[in-house]
This record gives sequence, structure tokens and C-alpha cells, in this order.
Amino acid sequence: MTDTLTLILSGSVTMAIPILFSALGEIYDQRAGVLNLGLEAIMSLSAFVALWVGSITGSYLWGTLAAILVGGLVALIHGFACITIGINQIISGLLLVTLADGIANFSYVSIIRLSGVPRALPTLKPIPIPGLSQIPVLGPVLFRQNIFVYLAFLFAIVFGFVLYKTTWGLKIRGVGENPQACDAAGINVNRIRYLCVILSGVMAGFGGAFLSLGYLGLYGYGIASGRGWIAIIVVILSCWSPYRAILGSLIFGVGYSTAANLIGIGIGVSGYLLQMFPYIIALIAISLMFKRTKGPSALTVPYRRK
Amino acid sequence: MKARFEKYISYLIGLIIALSIFSAILLAMGFNPILSLEALMYGSFGTVFSASQTFVTVAPLLLCSLAFLIAFKARFLNFGAEGQLYIGALCAYLAASQMGGLPSILSVPLVVLASFAGGVAWLAIPLVLKVKLEINEIFPTIVLNFIAMLVINWLLTGPIKDPRAPNPQTRVIPTATWLPIMIPGTRLHVGLIFAFFLTFLIYLILQKTVLGYDIRAVGLGPRAAKHGGIDFSRNIIIVGILSSGLAGLAGMVEVVGANHLLISGFSPGFGYQGIAIAALGTFHPIGVLFASIFYSILLIGGESMQRGINPVPIHMIYILQAVLVLSVLIVQEFLTVRRQK
Repeated sequence: MTDTLTLILSGSVTMAIPILFSALGEIYDQRAGVLNLGLEAIMSLSAFVALWVGSITGSYLWGTLAAILVGGLVALIHGFACITIGINQIISGLLLVTLADGIANFSYVSIIRLSGVPRALPTLKPIPIPGLSQIPVLGPVLFRQNIFVYLAFLFAIVFGFVLYKTTWGLKIRGVGENPQACDAAGINVNRIRYLCVILSGVMAGFGGAFLSLGYLGLYGYGIASGRGWIAIIVVILSCWSPYRAILGSLIFGVGYSTAANLIGIGIGVSGYLLQMFPYIIALIAISLMFKRTKGPSALTVPYRRK
Repeated sequence: MKARFEKYISYLIGLIIALSIFSAILLAMGFNPILSLEALMYGSFGTVFSASQTFVTVAPLLLCSLAFLIAFKARFLNFGAEGQLYIGALCAYLAASQMGGLPSILSVPLVVLASFAGGVAWLAIPLVLKVKLEINEIFPTIVLNFIAMLVINWLLTGPIKDPRAPNPQTRVIPTATWLPIMIPGTRLHVGLIFAFFLTFLIYLILQKTVLGYDIRAVGLGPRAAKHGGIDFSRNIIIVGILSSGLAGLAGMVEVVGANHLLISGFSPGFGYQGIAIAALGTFHPIGVLFASIFYSILLIGGESMQRGINPVPIHMIYILQAVLVLSVLIVQEFLTVRRQK
């Protein structure tokens, strides 16, 4: 029983990671006033790219770099459409999902045709932190994870610090709340927005790379399985705070992990029903928490000089 | 007049960009783009049968895009058409499988009602959250899409699975509940006429009735609506019911019209494509009608593009769709902003 519990808890941390990565980028993006609904597919695409480049080069580092590069490029399209041109951000985000999913699956099928089904890669090895990993239950849950996990938590803290304690953070929050005032103060509104949109793609790229290199070792259709959408829900639940996003992601991590582990053990309930766990958590969280949240004032409003 | 001219220009430029990227990707991957386009056109319009297949698929696409369109007019963003379509299809199947004994004149209307109700039921939670708690509808509707998918897959692998079928699918529904075929030898059923009729009806509602006026007023926001003496909640509920019901009907035409059973993954994302179609058709019922036909050509043509010596994966079609709609919207917005300066 304790074994199962440890398994579920350590899985919760693992499964919170792709959500946390994506949510962090999306927080900056939305704080700057741009909504990127494309995370789900950017994660899938970068999961594919990470695995593909990783298996060609034999280097997980190159795989990850390629994944975040592609993530950033896809987000750049969204930036051009929404910031420079100013089309509806919700529609653009949705088209981004179609586009990135299309590219991922087209490449996947094409590569299978050219060179057969790619072999699964071994997932990244956990790096136990000396001493701390020996603590019962908490040790294996928190301190015997792979590099991505530590990186995600580090990012969350750095993102929070930059957002609340530096001029950069102030500018980002400013262009999302009152772009006119920022423009008058000599801040280049659209440049900051571009950087934040690209960042949201890059972070979803980390999330995708983690899915294929750090967690599954392979790629399949719908690999993100809702995590991109959940990440955006986490952004709202955590009131656009990188620190609170850690907690938000962990809640959904528990949902995904409980489902996966119960399916693994086999408790006689259809796996499809168990997979509903995180989505039902999402519905409940939305119903209870969303009313009290208020986003950045200029969210989804393109900025044009009058 | 100038605006209309700009619209045509945007479609032309969008098509050129989309086809250029399409050809570039195919060339890079070692495919022949000319052969692929030929296969696409032939597969969607080359024979009477393939043309009929294209029009069979117009029905669910059109209904899903109308579902998004009518709600969008009130700025209610129903992203849940995919889930509502699946639940509508489920209800249509459940109703039809019980009605073998009834004559078509009775069973078909009951099936239609069941699927409409199914779609509406699947929007109930987001609608209540919206009206009672002012919670944005985007995320609840998307989450419910995932849940609907899991519900259907669960039922199709257990409770309603046809025990003799290797795949997750149900038994065939009684023939009395099938929608009549319009052209013998094809699968073209009256669902298409039904969808055309509803398109016309939505057009009338939006353009010629008080309800349409109210819906558009609500689209300006709760305060504007209140200022004009229009009940915001009441109109959001009406629009939500119409929208989700239409998505449910899209599931119905697939079950009792096209497939005659419920099968896992029967929708290649009709619900999501409906959103892109609505945008491509500039949120006008007639524009959406043409955009649906265009999308259907791509989907059906894309399937035959996968076969033969030049087998391009169907996913290329989704890339083409996204690039096309994005380019069209970008060019339209660019021209509009420039004109207003």
C-alpha cells in the first residue's frame, strides 16, 4: 500500500512537470497581454522533435534544444498573427493547434514510411540528490527525479522572481495591464509581447521534450493528452503567479498519476473511466475557483498606436 | 463594395500561400505535389460516388460550424462542439437502436430530438457556470470534449460494443431509422438537405428576427445588452441551446445517415474544424456553407491522396487547412486595418 502511494506521489511530481513548464511560459505570455491556446499541439510537436533529433544525434541535449527551438518558432507565427496583424487570438491559437498537430503527425507518419517505426529511447535516468533522496516517502518523491524535474522547479522560482522583483517583470506586467501608458513611458510594447509569446512556445517545448525524453521514451498521436489545455487552466487557477503554478500543476499531476497507476495495477474499472480523473478535477477547479480570478486587463487586446 | 473585393483578394492570397507551402513540404519530403493535387481533386469530385462522399461530409461540418457561428454572434465561445457531437451521436444511436418497430415517420424525428437533447445536455454545465457564475465557457467546454471522448470509448469497449466486431463499434441500427438515400448507389442521405435547411433558418434568425437582433446585441457585452433592455442570461441560454443542439445534430447525421452505427473516432475533429470553417466563412451562414464544402473536399480528397504510388499522409490536409485559414485571416485583418487608417 505504501509502495503504491509512493508510486502515485512520485508519479504526481513527474506528471506535473510538463504542465508546469507550459504554464510558466503561458503566465508570462498572458501577463504581457497575449493568449496562446496552441500549447497542446506545441507540446506534441516538440515531443516529436525532441525524440527524433534525440535519436538521430544520440544526444538528449540536442533533442531538447531542437524541441524548444521548434516550440518558439510555432509561437512566433502566433505572435505575428496576433501582435503585428492583430487577428483574433482565440481563433489563431486554435489554428495553431491544427497546424502544429498536423506537422507533428505528418512528420511522424513520413518518417515511419522512410525508415520504419522509430525505436523507443530509454528515458532519462533519475538523479538522486545525495542525502535528501534517503528520506522515506518524500525522498523518492521529490529528490529522485530526472534533470527536467529539477529544472522545472528552478524555472518556477526564477520566473516568479523575475516577474515580481525586476524591471523586466514590471514591464511585462505593464504591457498586459496598460499598454498605452507603457508606450508613453518609452517601452516597446510589441517587442515585449513578442518575447513573451516566443517564451510560451519555448516552455511548451520543454514540456514536450520532457514528455518524450523524460517520461515516455516514444511518440504517439495525442501524446500531450490534454496537458496543454490543463496548463492554461493552471495559469488561471494560480492567478497568473509562477509560484502558485507549482501547486496548480501538482494537483493535476496527482490526477494524471492516480489514473495511470490505477490503470497499471488494474482495479477492474475501464481505463477510459480512470483517465477522466484530471479532467474532472479541472471541471471542479474551474467551477470553484474561476469566478474569483481576474486576468490582465489587456489580455487578448492587440495594441495599436492611435 | 471595397470590403467585398478585399475579401476575395484575401481568399486568393490565402490559397496561393497555402498551396505554395503545401507544394514545398511535399517536394521536400519526396512527393509529387501535382499528382497529390490531382488525387485530391479526383478523390473528392472525380466520380459521382466520390462527389457524393464529399457532400455526405459537408453535413456534419456545416452543422458544427453553424453551432460555433450562432454562439459566436453572442460572443459565447462554444469550443465544445466536438464533445457535443459525440454525445449527440451516442443519443442518436441509443434512440435508434430502440426503435426498430416504429415507422420512419415517427422514429426519425425522435432520433433527431434525442441527438439535439444530447448535445444540449453536454453544454449544460458550462452554460450554468456562464450564466450563474460568469465563468468563461472556453475551458469547461474543452475539458468536456476530452470527457466525452473517454465516455464514448468506454461505452464502445464495454456496455454497447458489438461483441462480434473486432473494433470498438456498436451493432448496426435498425434500417427503419436510417435517413433516406437521395441518389441510389451512393451514401448521400437527406441529412445534407436538413443541414442546408438549418443554414437558411439560422440566416433568417440572425438577419430577420428580433431574436437575431438580441443575439447580436448580447455580443456587444452584458452592459450593452442591459442598456438596450435585453436579457443577457436569457439570450445566452437560447444561443447555447441552439449551438450545442446543432453540434448534437452533427453527430446524428453521421450515425443515422452516414455510418448506421457508432464507431470510435468517427469524427476527424469536425467540432474543431467547425470553428475554423466559421472563421473562414467570415461568420456568415452563406460563407460558412461554401467553406464547409471546401473543407469537405480537402478531407475526402485527402483520404484518396493517401493511397497509390504517391501516398501523402492525411495530416498534410490539416497543415493546409491551418495555413490557409491563418493566411486568409491575416490578409483580411491587414487590409481592414489599412482601409480604416
